[in-house]
Amino acid sequence: MNLIAQTLADGLVLGGIYALAAVGFSLIFGVLHVINLSHGILVLLGAYLALIFSKALSIDPLLTLPLVMAVLFAVGYVYQRFLIQHAVDRSQLGSMLLTFGVALMLQNIMIWVFSPDMKNITPSWAFTSFHLGAVNFDAVRVSALFASLVLLCCLALLLKFSALGRVIRATAQQTMAARLCGVNVRHVYALTFAVSAAFAGAAGIIIGIILPFSPSDEATWTLNAFVVVVLGGVGSPAGALLGGLLLGMVSTLTAQYIGPSFPNVTMFLLLVLLLLVRPTGLLGNAFSASR
Amino acid sequence: MKISPNLAVLFMVASAALLALGPFVLPPFYVRVGQLMLYSAGLAVAWTILGGFAGYASFGHSAFIGVGAFAAGLVEARFSGVAPPLLLLLGLAVGGICCAVLSAAISYPILRLRGTFFAIAMLGVSHVCAELNNNVDFFEGSLGLNFPAVAPKNIEPATFFYWLYLLAALVVLLIAWQIRRSRFGAGLLSIREDEDTARMLGVPTERYKRMAFVISAVLTGQLGVIYAHSLGYITTESVYRDDTNLSLIVYSLLGGMGTLFGPVIGAFMLVFITQVILGRLLDFHLFATGLLLVILVLAAPGGVLGLVRTFRLGRRRAAAPAE
Repeated sequence: MNLIAQTLADGLVLGGIYALAAVGFSLIFGVLHVINLSHGILVLLGAYLALIFSKALSIDPLLTLPLVMAVLFAVGYVYQRFLIQHAVDRSQLGSMLLTFGVALMLQNIMIWVFSPDMKNITPSWAFTSFHLGAVNFDAVRVSALFASLVLLCCLALLLKFSALGRVIRATAQQTMAARLCGVNVRHVYALTFAVSAAFAGAAGIIIGIILPFSPSDEATWTLNAFVVVVLGGVGSPAGALLGGLLLGMVSTLTAQYIGPSFPNVTMFLLLVLLLLVRPTGLLGNAFSASR
Repeated sequence: MKISPNLAVLFMVASAALLALGPFVLPPFYVRVGQLMLYSAGLAVAWTILGGFAGYASFGHSAFIGVGAFAAGLVEARFSGVAPPLLLLLGLAVGGICCAVLSAAISYPILRLRGTFFAIAMLGVSHVCAELNNNVDFFEGSLGLNFPAVAPKNIEPATFFYWLYLLAALVVLLIAWQIRRSRFGAGLLSIREDEDTARMLGVPTERYKRMAFVISAVLTGQLGVIYAHSLGYITTESVYRDDTNLSLIVYSLLGGMGTLFGPVIGAFMLVFITQVILGRLLDFHLFATGLLLVILVLAAPGGVLGLVRTFRLGRRRAAAPAE
């Protein structure tokens, strides 16, 4: 009983982070219909930027969040405007391969700059923990979960109530109609990408606080984002949260009860199973975009 | 561009004969590069039966290389007394059958997905296969498998495998060519162009897709069996490789997506670039591959054959001024 409560709590924390790491991917897919295979590298970029900033300014890595998000916002805007935009309206495979090429290049650059070794930005207060009933919570994990949820709520509010959010949703629903109403679609695409990159960077910091990271992790984070989006549904923070929590639970339960090297296997089995019984994702229409 | 079948066969036989002379004139390093080129060309054409003709671009074909290689290795280890050439044939049969069963089984859920979803689901399949292979003791993936030497005594192994790869590439090319010419191939092309319309017009899309998937998987698996023999010793990492997954797409993209000879041209070019030109710049490898991908997508989405085609079209237009 104790063990299962602890496992579920760990899964919850992990799931919150998965959700945050996937939400940008989901947004880009929902609005631009681009599978951004460089998403994982943007996540890692956030982690490495936090490493640089927290060393340079000697502050807690979590406090570099606004700075990292601002930098990645700019990076995302430029990246979309000058590279991805040229491939958006051609084939899906083309834009996917473009982002993959960029991911490879950035990964190589990261290896040159930061070395291929594991790095971490675990803060000094990471090892304090407290008990809730019989379940043990690390302060660092709880703050990570909390930060993830706050950021997800911010994004949901941004999409729901702000002018920018309204324009993004309009473009996602009917690009042509939005254009007819005077929306500058290219600008919206770039802004969407920028917002997604900023959230990827934020996720990177939070991941970096909990786990060590290296340049070769990027594929894992891209794949996780993909699975989360398929499980939850495209384009909404709520879908990402649901998918993320589900994925987090499944991977911790598998690691605990089946074996530490099997989370990916169960994850993809779950994916295939879901595709059989509910090919549109749990919430919303994950596959309408693929048809 | 219409080439008569006879001419195409003549061309293929001539170039195959020319390539077969390779080991006699090339230095050993280039024989090795030649092996890799032919192996990659075979894989690229096997991939294109599904990815190019039917438009289902798989991002996880290394799953079949791995399954084929490990299935063959595990069975061959239990028949150690058999003569080497028979052992190789046995391995090819077992590897092919295992890939056929696996691909037929996963085709039901996986082929419901389209476009990039299919591509990434296949990537998932290859990762799952790799992890199971590595973590289930029975498969000996983390320890590694030894393969018996199958080259006849009077032929240099490098030369033997060069010829074997050449033969395999030719067989795969021939199969792909026959598919392309057949009713089945026309059905696959119609699936690529518009699956829903094709289905409405009476093309048995489900069956055709599944057939293409299984054929592609079996050929890929058998090439994997040969590859494993040429290495002599494999672990999970040496056959389930993400760079293979990627390269298979890049070969077609580089040569010309959906064409028959495009993947061959692409494979030859890319292997030459990465092995010969970038061979000494290992640190630069990922970056160069990424850059190549970006340039390809932005500048030449039709690949080499696409460029040739636009060039010819342009010339024809120039020759016959607009009426």
